[in-house]
Amino acid sequence: MTTMTGLGRAGARLLGGAALAVALSFGGATGMAEAKDKFVFANSSAYDTLDPHAIFDVGRVASRLNLYDGLMRWLDNPPVLEPWLAESYTISDDGLTYTFVLREGATFHDGSAIEASDVVYSIERILALKKGAFSLFADVIEPGSTKAPDARTVVFTLTKPSAIFLATVPEIHVVNEELVRANEVDGDWGGAWLSQNGAGSGSFELTRYDPAIGFQAKRFEDHFMGWGEKYFDEIEFRTVVEINSRVLGLLNGDFHGTDGYLPQDQVKRLRESDEVAVDEQESMRIFYSIIHNGREPFDDVNLRKAISYAFDYNAFIEDILSGSVARNPVPLPNNIWGAPAGVEGYTYDLEKAKEYLAKVEGEIPEITLGALAGYGQTEQAAALLQNGLNKIGVKTKIVAEPWAVASAKMRDEQQMYDLLFLWRSTYYADPNNWVGEMYACDQVGARNNSWYCDPEVDKLLMAARVETDQDKRAAAYEAAAKKVMDDAAGVFVYNTKWFGPFNKSVKGVRFSPIGNGQEMRWAYFE
Amino acid sequence: MRTLVLIVNRLLWFVPTLIGLMVITFTISHIIPADPVAFFAGENATPEQIAALRAEYGFDQPIHVQLWRYFIGVLQGDFGVSLYTQRPIADDLVSRLPATMELTIMAVLVSAVLGIPLGVIAAVYRNSPLDHVLRILTVSGLAIASFWLAILFQLFFAMELGWTPLQGRIDGWGPDKITGFFLIDSVLGDDWESFWSALSHMILPVATLAFPAMATIVRFTRAGVLDAINSNYVLYEQAMGFPRRVIVWKFVLRNALIGTVTQIGLIFGILIAGAVVVEAVFDWPGLGLYAVQSILNSDYNAIMGFTLVSGAIFIVVNLLVDIAHGLIDPRAAG
Repeated sequence: MTTMTGLGRAGARLLGGAALAVALSFGGATGMAEAKDKFVFANSSAYDTLDPHAIFDVGRVASRLNLYDGLMRWLDNPPVLEPWLAESYTISDDGLTYTFVLREGATFHDGSAIEASDVVYSIERILALKKGAFSLFADVIEPGSTKAPDARTVVFTLTKPSAIFLATVPEIHVVNEELVRANEVDGDWGGAWLSQNGAGSGSFELTRYDPAIGFQAKRFEDHFMGWGEKYFDEIEFRTVVEINSRVLGLLNGDFHGTDGYLPQDQVKRLRESDEVAVDEQESMRIFYSIIHNGREPFDDVNLRKAISYAFDYNAFIEDILSGSVARNPVPLPNNIWGAPAGVEGYTYDLEKAKEYLAKVEGEIPEITLGALAGYGQTEQAAALLQNGLNKIGVKTKIVAEPWAVASAKMRDEQQMYDLLFLWRSTYYADPNNWVGEMYACDQVGARNNSWYCDPEVDKLLMAARVETDQDKRAAAYEAAAKKVMDDAAGVFVYNTKWFGPFNKSVKGVRFSPIGNGQEMRWAYFE
Repeated sequence: MRTLVLIVNRLLWFVPTLIGLMVITFTISHIIPADPVAFFAGENATPEQIAALRAEYGFDQPIHVQLWRYFIGVLQGDFGVSLYTQRPIADDLVSRLPATMELTIMAVLVSAVLGIPLGVIAAVYRNSPLDHVLRILTVSGLAIASFWLAILFQLFFAMELGWTPLQGRIDGWGPDKITGFFLIDSVLGDDWESFWSALSHMILPVATLAFPAMATIVRFTRAGVLDAINSNYVLYEQAMGFPRRVIVWKFVLRNALIGTVTQIGLIFGILIAGAVVVEAVFDWPGLGLYAVQSILNSDYNAIMGFTLVSGAIFIVVNLLVDIAHGLIDPRAAG
């Protein structure tokens, strides 16, 4: 047997070369540059399109709010609806005609004047594309019905009175008709072009975009709302999918802000840092479990009540979530008008749960508790409920599936889980966004995924949709929310708090549950 | 001539392999109970809106019709349109491919440059303390999950020591695009600031990808060298008085590398798959990150596009490996 020892010179050279390559690589690390005059935000969602009419999710709100304007805008918390591109508006007595007058002198980024025809084109584009916020307008605006009698007046004529129309107007982001039309291909309403270009008038003007990275924009000096004394000259929103990478990037100064719905251990980590300040506000995003009211035996209110009493709300909020959320016992966020005050809601009470369970007739099959894979809280909540139900002798199984799967099942009466934990976010700050859609009979299988249809509740909700007096609407929503809770149509757990983490040098961030603190026109570096 | 026959033979298999891959991936992605259109349309979407979108993207057709349309489209170079980016899949893939290729090629180079000599050392000094250390290192490389290693590297080298950037591909938006490979483009554009920035951003993701790859190469090289070193021709060469270094690095290594080269080809494919995790952690805007987002969004066309491109790259790399194999060992070509 031959044995060999020693490498010889050639081997040493090879190794030396490898070592040099490594050393060379590390030598380059010192070239890190840090942006000082540009605000950089790390976002969990990808900016895969910039078309403001193709998207309507909270995760990608920054491109819509910073690059585009609407006639109205939701500001602050609790959100207030303010005229924005519109200088004023009037509503006809029959509640069918909404007339907006545009501000004088407002221009798009290319310097052309914003005219009423641009607003008309924008709503027609939304209706034609059937994407993004289309669902908000599909029932109330007919294509071709919106008119521009003069350059500054826009008239919307609704097909039926709608008390929530005004609340949804901010989602009509106004695009530059001439510019978009010039880039239309095969009747696509400029979709391909607008997905990666800007045609707006927003506070910031798009300068760079890469769907794999994010977007960069510079301040639009001529914005019709003017500017304060301090502002960012440039903003950049980057996609960083990993939570840990977003947090580390914020800690070492790569980013100046990130999303405000991080897990509590990460929020704690950020709070302990000298570099980061965490702004805490109660948002409008409720966490609850849908119960399939249309399926036996869940159509029995006694079983639903037994389930509601078997969930340990206190343990979930205080122990699992470290008290970082607010108990919210009804299908409306605590902090919106129309939410009933002083309602205690269900508590964790196994004796009562057993009591109601005893009233249920027939066998109770194994209950499927749905959760969203990758969203730990939904799985933890399902496990906690499973524990409670086990103690009262109800068998359960937890099924955690990706949102893409769950969102498909939610629309199918047969495939829908018996229960499913999830959140309901703010798309527009009106009670209709929650109880009004979640439990209305005309939304069954669409936005009502509980198959709950109660004539009394429905009457209240339908009346509130057309009533223009807010006090009367508030009374209707209060009554409806209480009734839904009494019927235990779902397990209502908490309202989210927003923990907006920003570099300490960033000041002036204005949080609104719609914008999630990502509209940057008021923020600046100190 | 034999090499040419080998290439033609492999190329003939290229098409049916890709078709098989396409059919399997298409079927799997379309039979899972997800509804990409409902997901894309959002929780506020009306049934009418979903139905319209489903028709627009052809998802209302039976699966075999969809597959046939997709097949015809791919033959014409049309991979469909992404639900999310609203752009042709081919454009998305082409824009992201250089980032992944740059990362993967660097990882293969680093793992080979370090792995082969270390494998030789391990064999030459077998059962010595050095060999044991290398064994621990290589077993660790194979055992440690890449996402964990990535985070560990970030915490230590970027956060604790501050030696490397934490994430991203470059400071800012990169040099003017010529090839899409930042290192090459910055050299061509004489932009050395971008070059160093791109190189420094590469260190941690390349190290994360290269570590397990290097472990494999060390193990295979060690085994190959040990096998060759015990051959009679080595004994003969020793008797002929060849210097030890010449025997190891010229004769033994060439024979030992046959298995290693095959492994490098396989590693290249594995690294492209591994890039899915590494790109997500390091926010590297390549195909892996695109695949992660596409899977999370159930964006069928994007998933299919990624799979086909990855498959094609894997096949091409293995073809190159076969050719290299033939060059190193002429018997293999025959």
